[in-house]
Amino acid sequence: MIDQIRAELLKIRSTRTTLGLVAGMVALIVFFALLTGLLTKAPHLVTPEDQRGLLNVGSIAGLFSALAGVMLITSEYRHGTIRPTFLFDPRRSHLLAAKAAAGLLAGIAFGLAGEALGFGLGYLTLTARGIPFALTTGQAALTVGGGLAAVALWAAIGAAVGAIVRNQVGTIIGLLAWGLIIDNLLFAFVPSVGRFSPNRAENALEGLTAKHLLPAAAGGAVLVAWAAALTIAGILATARRDVT
Amino acid sequence: MPETTRAPQAAAVVAESLSKRFGRLLAVDDLSFALAPGTITGFLGPNGAGKTTTLRMLLGLAAPSEGRALVFGSPYAELERPALRIGAVLEATDFHPGRSGRDHLRTLSRSVGLSDTRADQALRRVELEQAAKRRVKGYSLGMRQRLGLAAALLGDPELLILDEPANGLDPEGVRWLRDFLRDFAAQGRTVLVSSHVLAEVAQTVDQVLIINRGRLVTESPLAQLTARVSGSVRIRTPEPDRLQKALEQEQIEISATNEHALLAHGTSSERVGQIAFAAGVPLYELVAESSSLEDVFLQLTAKEQP
Repeated sequence: MIDQIRAELLKIRSTRTTLGLVAGMVALIVFFALLTGLLTKAPHLVTPEDQRGLLNVGSIAGLFSALAGVMLITSEYRHGTIRPTFLFDPRRSHLLAAKAAAGLLAGIAFGLAGEALGFGLGYLTLTARGIPFALTTGQAALTVGGGLAAVALWAAIGAAVGAIVRNQVGTIIGLLAWGLIIDNLLFAFVPSVGRFSPNRAENALEGLTAKHLLPAAAGGAVLVAWAAALTIAGILATARRDVT
Repeated sequence: MPETTRAPQAAAVVAESLSKRFGRLLAVDDLSFALAPGTITGFLGPNGAGKTTTLRMLLGLAAPSEGRALVFGSPYAELERPALRIGAVLEATDFHPGRSGRDHLRTLSRSVGLSDTRADQALRRVELEQAAKRRVKGYSLGMRQRLGLAAALLGDPELLILDEPANGLDPEGVRWLRDFLRDFAAQGRTVLVSSHVLAEVAQTVDQVLIINRGRLVTESPLAQLTARVSGSVRIRTPEPDRLQKALEQEQIEISATNEHALLAHGTSSERVGQIAFAAGVPLYELVAESSSLEDVFLQLTAKEQP
């Protein structure tokens, strides 16, 4: 298993795709951190709740780690490398587990970078503007740690959805449609169901306290359950289908 | 009927009543064969005959609808680290364009616990070390074919399965491939190489497996196939019926190509000339056919048309 994980990590490192995703992530986090940190009027940055919105900007990394996860499997189908990959390891469930593990590791790297950047910029902005830091250490740890865990899990979710859908563009459009539209509608109109979505579970895990959100621990459990269930579905889907 | 190598215990590759159905299409239809270790087999058939589908089943990428596909006695997916015994190339284009050739090989060698030096050795073996660090995007088709081969060689396999490896190669590349396969087989290893052009593999293979419309047409040593062709004689005569009768009395197989022309099989122009002389049939033209295996191949694969 270690060998497969090493091989998968090399796949992630050996193309420029990952570099592009990291660059996109950094640009977006810097943009939103500065936008929120500099344009929000000081009275709106006083409460822990307000500041959490700013300090949590790093969780945008989840979008990019999900994309990295998607690439991990769909680019193999797109470029045909799935054939040699399966020839070298025909135990497909084994291979997908290795991909999920490599995805999680890559996700942790994205999460560390994203959270460090987002929290760092947020903290610097508050300090520079002379606004006192309002979060307790525990709250800050939850924001950063929860964000980190969520970003890592998103990579596994991306890989799993990629394994189910297989088509790269289809997977990305599907995930974006879910995250930007469907999830928001669901949470707005049926919050009792919508709060169990991966996105809302993530919000809960990061310590956000909007109405209808689950408690942090439950949010974490729900997000882990999503990643696990989708990974199992991806393994089952991959085991059954022929590779053309 | 084709003569089958019956050595299921020792066979490197076995298809047992192998079938594959895609919806209403029966792509592979009750195919059975066995390949002895140490042989080079040409797996031939026109495009769409079911060659690639058969290879996919042998390599565990597709599940048979019926029957079994065995490599070294087991289904591919049940072998422990199969890449160390079997090397295969199905498509010449199975690379990420943005990854270097060397990195492509390293992702594969790592996955089975081989060191990176194996990747470098494989690159040397296919003469790609100059391009090792370049991204595959900039490789020519011939270089991609060789990179695919390098991937198949990583595990130092005893069996090589190649699907249309000569596709898109220039004549130099075809010769390189031929030399390579001969060299590989000279070490007592087994090769199964598919092609839709017999001439590509005729100089390399010991035996041929010809399929058409998913069914086995012929499994025979190449020499046997060659014998069927070598003695074709094309004859033009104003009295084809009388000549045909005379030739048939001598047990010579005849096919009429048109009103005034005959094709005699398994004989020589000298013999046909003497028979015609003895029968008093005038000949306008008497040509020993230098053409070829390709004709036999086309005949064999055309015969099966409904």
